[in-house]
Amino acid sequence: MNVDLLTQSPVFVLAIPLLFAFLTPLANKVSKELRNAVFLIGLLLTTLFVSLMAYEVYTMGSWIYVFGAEQPTTGLTTQSFFRITFLADGFSVLAALTIIITALGAGIYSFGHMKESNGLGKFYTLFLLTLAGVNGMVLTSDLFNLFVWFEVTSIASCGLIAYHNDRGESVEAALKYMIISVIAGLLLLFSIGFFYGEYGVLNYFLIRDSMTGSLIDILAIGMVMVILAMKASSVPMHMWAPDAYSEAPEPITPFIAITSLGSLFVLFRLLFFVFRGAVETSAIGSILIILGVLSMFIGVSMALKQSDLKRLIAYLSVSQVGYMMMAVGVGFATLGTGDYGIFGARAMEGGLFHMINDGVYKALLFLSAGGIVYVADTRDLNKLGGLAHHMPYTTFFFIIGGLSIAGIPPLSGFSSKLLIYKSVYLYNPVLAIIALVVSIVTLALIGKIFFNAFLGPDQGVGKKIPRSMILAMSILTIVVVLFSLFPNYVVAEIVVPAIEALGVGA
Amino acid sequence: MIDIVLQDIWSPIIFILVGILVSLIAYMFYLMGNPDYKRTKYKGDPFISGNRPPTDLKELHVGGDNVYWGFTKALRKYLDPLVEGHTGIVNDYVYWFVVTLAVVLVFLYIM
Repeated sequence: MNVDLLTQSPVFVLAIPLLFAFLTPLANKVSKELRNAVFLIGLLLTTLFVSLMAYEVYTMGSWIYVFGAEQPTTGLTTQSFFRITFLADGFSVLAALTIIITALGAGIYSFGHMKESNGLGKFYTLFLLTLAGVNGMVLTSDLFNLFVWFEVTSIASCGLIAYHNDRGESVEAALKYMIISVIAGLLLLFSIGFFYGEYGVLNYFLIRDSMTGSLIDILAIGMVMVILAMKASSVPMHMWAPDAYSEAPEPITPFIAITSLGSLFVLFRLLFFVFRGAVETSAIGSILIILGVLSMFIGVSMALKQSDLKRLIAYLSVSQVGYMMMAVGVGFATLGTGDYGIFGARAMEGGLFHMINDGVYKALLFLSAGGIVYVADTRDLNKLGGLAHHMPYTTFFFIIGGLSIAGIPPLSGFSSKLLIYKSVYLYNPVLAIIALVVSIVTLALIGKIFFNAFLGPDQGVGKKIPRSMILAMSILTIVVVLFSLFPNYVVAEIVVPAIEALGVGA
Repeated sequence: MIDIVLQDIWSPIIFILVGILVSLIAYMFYLMGNPDYKRTKYKGDPFISGNRPPTDLKELHVGGDNVYWGFTKALRKYLDPLVEGHTGIVNDYVYWFVVTLAVVLVFLYIM
């Protein structure tokens, strides 16, 4: 049997982290060096298969991978109602690239940051399980399979948040995350049951072709939308995020944030690809815009009152989710109208470009913050100061990440925000003004962290940043710089194919 | 028609080249400055309304709660209820989820 690695790559994107997740504790029994090697090999192989999938999608086009079919690319047939399918297309690649870049950074960072911790066999297992779960969420095109990966991600993330179980705050944050995830998971299953009860199918394509826009459809779509918005930490359902982000181990924080972004990818996939024909696009678009504006404004407002470094960045993260929801909401609201061609598609470009940007620079920011916590042993901005004397590299990485999240040219955050400002302005100027104001306050808050943590008199520190942490932050910085220097290339080669994969013109 | 294609409105390479050019011009101005300038005891010291700067350097650093103090104080009528709304109680998290779900479902039903 001829096994074409390129065609099989979506399965390996999932199978490799799953396999290595269970190899890691076995390797841990032998030695910690072997455990670290197994974890790193798993991470690098996953990166390789994501790259292969991206190469195949960009050179040969997208394909549906049907599990259990004689040939995996024979596509959907009426006999494959119950076969799980994965969708390898531009949108899956955009999501998978965002996830794997962050995972690679966080994974390498873990070697240095976590080296003095106990139970690392379990830690790396949960890490790879989370990676498998979130990859599965964005690749699958089967609703029940989506639920399975949603649960895998939630359970593994919960374990990671509670990793420092000697700290009451970590356990509390994990408990809150678990309660929220269980409610979200059960309601997701409930809404999937609605679709299955009505149409007898679970596949995205088959549901899309069957949907009639009935009251049951509306109910199920509304529930799926709110569940995924909550998991994406959209205001007013964001409150779990600062708890989880701030209490998770430092290398894990960007990874928990990427699971939120994964939920947002799934939300956009379902809305555009599956539910579009059954709903009033202007209504769904308006909901996305309202949630987006609330997230932007309340996220950044709450960040103003924080003196905990990681909580502050967590609220900024909530605020950034708002940009994506608002921009994609404008795209959705204008679907089927002449405005889509004028500015709706550009808003989509800005929103999706901002997603991959945000995934990377936010990871860089959280890892820089992790470096601060590692060296100074506190997250309290009232106690920090003068770290630039000891951490020149981390200072540089923080500046790159911070200016990017604030949308300062020429960094990548500016490129995506510029697209958002200009396109959203044509939809409603007030939205663009709010987005600009939020960016200004974000810059002020990045200035606050920079001033408090890095500037000021030398207060002395006891630790040096390990090389693996520097390497991880360097990788993310290089990606941010590349996205900053070649935004047009990223939009043309990665973002536009993603929009086209959603079945709407770019 | 307004053009909002990214490659037509933004080029980071040109931005960086202009930045380098402006930096070179600024450096030229710097070179034109007084070459006899010498840093003396008082030049460059912080001026705090004529008061002597604190001798303990740590006292010079403004803590996290005090940065933008005036700004957050002026906005307290907006920020305080917002902070109070973030109770940290998981029941409230679920409450907001249920409320949002209800509002979204009603909105979708009406539309």
